[in-house]
Amino acid sequence: MNTGYHPLVKRVLGGELSLAELPPELHAEGEEALRLVGAVDRTAVAFSPEFEQRVMAAVRRHAAAHGRRAWRWLNTPRDVQVRLRVRPWAVWGGALAAAAALVLLLSRPAAAPEPGTGGEARVVARDSVFVRFVLYAPGAHRVAVAGNFNQWDRSAALLVPAGTSGVWTTTLALPVGQHQYAFVVDGARWVVDPAAPAVDDGFGRRNSLVAVTAPGARVL
Amino acid sequence: MGLEGEATDAEVVRAVLAGDVERYAVLVRRYRDRYARYASRMLGSADVAEDAVQDAMVRAFDRLADCREPDKFAGWLFLILRNRCFAERRRQQREGRPLEPGDDRIAAPDRPDGVYEDAERMRALKRALERLTPEQREVFVMKHVEGLAYEEIGQLTGATVASLKMRMHRAYDRLRVLMKEHV
Repeated sequence: MNTGYHPLVKRVLGGELSLAELPPELHAEGEEALRLVGAVDRTAVAFSPEFEQRVMAAVRRHAAAHGRRAWRWLNTPRDVQVRLRVRPWAVWGGALAAAAALVLLLSRPAAAPEPGTGGEARVVARDSVFVRFVLYAPGAHRVAVAGNFNQWDRSAALLVPAGTSGVWTTTLALPVGQHQYAFVVDGARWVVDPAAPAVDDGFGRRNSLVAVTAPGARVL
Repeated sequence: MGLEGEATDAEVVRAVLAGDVERYAVLVRRYRDRYARYASRMLGSADVAEDAVQDAMVRAFDRLADCREPDKFAGWLFLILRNRCFAERRRQQREGRPLEPGDDRIAAPDRPDGVYEDAERMRALKRALERLTPEQREVFVMKHVEGLAYEEIGQLTGATVASLKMRMHRAYDRLRVLMKEHV
């Protein structure tokens, strides 16, 4: 047995029809449905006066913890190896975002070992690694790359067109670690890198992923 | 620097990311009340909602560097809160714990002016909403409590208008069954 509302009554509830527009035989059902929706509690909800203080206290604790982690990370000596990683890119069906490649180059080698220390060489962290971003976007007027390395600023890292080929490139120095990013085409459209792995950002969208690694890292 | 009320979300977000942690309080004040009612209706309790909104705001701070579009901070924060509310509802359902009934002491049953019936219907609807799926409950709350259009709900949740209408229609049908003695 169908116990639901008539489709026209649902349109009344959705604000698409008025009660007067219903056929007479549905008036009673329409009135019943409106009584149901009319019982909604729309009163405002007020949180306790201490709410803001509690949130900010937690925020300050977290900020301090972030700072300590960053300081430890910055003070941890690391070996950094040159890693060259090339992903072939390809054009897919003439879509706007078609192909990309990532090339990782070490910006400069780590500092020279200290002579005569009698033990293993001490290597100071040098974590600037060049990452080359490439996007095939024919017809685009402006392409940028935004990620957590530039606080998702859509204008901080513009790509440069390679002639009229539709290929846009730029090279950025990124710290060792894992970074999420996406391309921004014409200032508004977010495009994941089709040649890089992607992850869900937890909010229903996809971000491309690049891992800038320094294997062999150790604390001396 | 202008007054707090003049700063856009994007300006505040950038200031916080640049190290001015205290500016985050601007966003807390700005969105506390806006999302209090949504969370409260989703979770059926102002206390649980307060915890959820607090947790969402702290999580948003932790992940602020991942906020792609700081000028759309409100929508981004909403998605964090939404995920938190859905997780909380599922946890409650797993544990078989009903939502809090709220304050039911509104009117005496012998009042002749219909206030009691209205209050009773409101309580019944509140209980009925708790028996919808989280998705159905959300679309009902956003449309009929927050007064948003389907297009606005779609922008916030990422769902299409067609799927939102489908959820809503199922919610109407379910509510009709659950509320048959009260309307």
